[in-house]
Amino acid sequence: MPNASSTLAAPERAATAATPTDRSRRRKIATVVALIVAAVVVGIFPAAAPNAYILSAGVVILSYACTATSWNFMGGFTGYISLGHAAWFGLGAYGTGILVRDLGLPSFVAWALAGVVVAIITVPIGIAALRVRGASFVIVSIAFVLILLLVFQGWGSFTGGSNGLVVPRPFPDLMRPVHHQVFFYLFAALLAAMLVLWWAINRSRFGIGLKAIREDEDKAEALGIPTRNYKLVAYIISATFTGLAGGMYALWFGDLDPIFQFSILLGSYMVLMALLGGIRHLLGPLVGAIIVGIGLEVFKLQFGDTQFHLVATGLLLALVVLFMPDGIIPALQAGIKRFGPQSSSIREMTAGELAERNRAAGVSGASVFAGRKAEREGVENEDATTPTEEEKR
Amino acid sequence: MTATAASGATTTVSNLSTRGLTKVFGGVRAVDGADVTFHEGKINALIGPNGSGKTTFFNCVTGMIKPDSGTVTFKDRDITGKAPHAIAHAGIGRSFQLCRIFPRMSVLDNVLVAVRRTGIRSLLAPARTEAEVTKARQLLVRVGIDHLENAEARDLSYGQQKLLELAGVLMGDPDTIMLDEPAGGVNPSLIGRIGSLVQELNAEGTTFLIVEHNMDLVMSLSHHVIVFDRGRPIAEGTPDIVQSDPRVLEAYLGV
Amino acid sequence: MTGSLLLQSLILGVLLGGLYALLAAGLTLYFGVMRVVMIAHAAFLVLAAYLAWFANSRLGIDPLLTLVVTVPLFFGIGVLMQRLLIKRLRPATLTMMSVLLTFAIALFIEGLVGFVWGGTQRRIQLSYSSASIEIFGARIAVVKLIAFGLAALSLLALYLLMKHTRFGQALRATIQHPEAAQLVGIKTEGVAGLGFGLGLATAALGGTALSLDATIYPSLHWHWIGPLMAIIVVGGLGSIPGAAIAALVLGVGQSLLQVPLGTTWAQTIFYVALFVTLMVRPQGFFGGRLAQRF
Repeated sequence: MPNASSTLAAPERAATAATPTDRSRRRKIATVVALIVAAVVVGIFPAAAPNAYILSAGVVILSYACTATSWNFMGGFTGYISLGHAAWFGLGAYGTGILVRDLGLPSFVAWALAGVVVAIITVPIGIAALRVRGASFVIVSIAFVLILLLVFQGWGSFTGGSNGLVVPRPFPDLMRPVHHQVFFYLFAALLAAMLVLWWAINRSRFGIGLKAIREDEDKAEALGIPTRNYKLVAYIISATFTGLAGGMYALWFGDLDPIFQFSILLGSYMVLMALLGGIRHLLGPLVGAIIVGIGLEVFKLQFGDTQFHLVATGLLLALVVLFMPDGIIPALQAGIKRFGPQSSSIREMTAGELAERNRAAGVSGASVFAGRKAEREGVENEDATTPTEEEKR
Repeated sequence: MTATAASGATTTVSNLSTRGLTKVFGGVRAVDGADVTFHEGKINALIGPNGSGKTTFFNCVTGMIKPDSGTVTFKDRDITGKAPHAIAHAGIGRSFQLCRIFPRMSVLDNVLVAVRRTGIRSLLAPARTEAEVTKARQLLVRVGIDHLENAEARDLSYGQQKLLELAGVLMGDPDTIMLDEPAGGVNPSLIGRIGSLVQELNAEGTTFLIVEHNMDLVMSLSHHVIVFDRGRPIAEGTPDIVQSDPRVLEAYLGV
Repeated sequence: MTGSLLLQSLILGVLLGGLYALLAAGLTLYFGVMRVVMIAHAAFLVLAAYLAWFANSRLGIDPLLTLVVTVPLFFGIGVLMQRLLIKRLRPATLTMMSVLLTFAIALFIEGLVGFVWGGTQRRIQLSYSSASIEIFGARIAVVKLIAFGLAALSLLALYLLMKHTRFGQALRATIQHPEAAQLVGIKTEGVAGLGFGLGLATAALGGTALSLDATIYPSLHWHWIGPLMAIIVVGGLGSIPGAAIAALVLGVGQSLLQVPLGTTWAQTIFYVALFVTLMVRPQGFFGGRLAQRF
């Protein structure tokens, strides 16, 4: 916040603005530290990984982080929860594979082109799906991935059907561990690109408009935000990056099967990771992906091919929805705030400020606030449906 | 047609009017061929018994509901059935009956979000430019909640949220503001505050259209009153004239 | 396509549609009383089918007899689910969060079924499994008829319950206008719980019917929940008769398309219908409630 601008309010603000500015500076420092730590970890991980398995698990987790972050362009900004984002992942993966197979394009040209194809497909699908909101949108998103599963299974001559599709490796000469290493960095670069874009949108006028849609779509529309176009753009960005992550996965893994590419489970992982970390935060999906990704790998090691990881996934998702719908990052922040030096909540602060202001201001502002007490008592009942969640938790 | 305003001495200009506006919900004609002309630069009030179609009319004008037939004209342009955001861009701001704000955004962002948006370039602009922040803060000062700018909007009291909603509407520089029950659920001193804000803004040239149940507020505030019953205006004129009109009594008392 | 083949497809479609109708009625109940889209409905369906299979193959009990246990059990689970889980969700985000929560329950059940009984395909073998009757040259398996009879009887019972009992009246009032129902003294909270239990009981009935002649496996429920959700959207969210009509129409459609297109492509009819509905009439074809809001 540069410049306390308005001369009218300047005297009061000078005293009180310290806390928010302080907070935002501390947040900035924390973000920079987190970024440096993340960069260092990503940089040394391939070298530090004791064996090819750990390295490949790292690639898997990064691919999860990519999908969860790309999901969050839609889910986080607009609040439209898509459980069928695996559709875009599968389209990107199959698009890349088929372009390499049929047109003989170089791998990464095919990958980029598949991203373009996904973006184009998103437009009509988005226009149709975004006509509905809330739970209906979730239903549509699930239906979409189920349709694509049927289509890719049924259209064997084009997609390889249930036999799957083999995608030629982009670097046939590389040894397996080096192959993993290369893709580890490629996924990291893709993720970094998404995070930068997320950050840019978050502070743009477009981003604040999307967040308004998440809060109250009708109100946003009434204030002049072209909600449909905004949602569509967010949807295209989200789907395209999910498709790019899928294409990258296809080039890395080299073997596609409709059952796994167009699976509801993959879509639910994206939702779980993003929700677990916190959909309102830049790094939320990444944090969620690391936790869930490690958890899934451990489960696969411990329980092998059983369906137990489904039980764990379901349980974790239910717990997050019931007890931590805002995710880990806000929960941690709240925890830090509670134990930190300044434990005052926003409301307490404003109450103090209010009293001070009323004393100082005398006439001008006071008339507004004179009735506040009565009004609080009178109106709070109607307000009862929106208690502050933070206080309850 | 409807009763003519006896305040005919002053010339009446209008920038917002409807002709034959009709909306049917499952056989019920919520708005039934309403011809309404609002007086530009004045405070217009829309009153009428519950279920007389005021809010549906309001929603048809602001584009939240697509009317079945009829036209809405604003500044000589036909805005019938346009998307709400396009109508907002045209210069009509509105509030909601049960005040609606963005609960988990800061108070300042609640105002900033309402900045005028045109073209693709505005998408890429930063959410908080210095000029806009300054303007938003001035509006918060104006409605008297500037000290809360960093609070989350859901932490505000209901009355404060109403003021915040008004500040948001003002951010879009509308020349016509439609308020749906601005005094609903608000304590008397705040009603007074809202009333004087409306008068101040009107003095600066903003046209108001207010749907309201609080008759004291309507009669003290408005220049022109339109009475709705069964989906169409049945009387209009200055507050004094409307108050003495037998048809109004009939509509309210259901004789 | 010969006449008898056509007739056979038609009859099979109606039989399948009956099961769809029962299950869609359950989904509609949850949505009606709580505005909850219950993704786990089909998972409970598969669970009930597994219980029937287990009782039959391990304990030697006729699958139909398992209803005595599964229907009350599922009813109880439904009531508890509403009381302990769904009610905890914030009203503002109830519909959205309930989708995620019931989705999580579906995953949980799928995993549990796979964990306990393995991922392989199972099928009940009954003495009358291969019996069939012929109607004008169309061969219809007896088990399919039994399954349909069970579904039709359950639907009839549900209809009578809704139309002619005080509880049904309260339930319908709660579905149509919860606030008004509260005002006339209906304890909508309790009614919602019972409605939820009733919905889950349809899953128990449907699962038993399903087990009679279907091959079951843990992830089968995804193939059911998609079509069922399409049915309730096409039928108009919240409308039980709408859901039943949509179920029959789409069931017959699927069955007829199976002959020229094969099973995989025939399933897409549900999704095509879903998208067409959303494009043309977001509030559904038969009911009145706006899908857009939920």
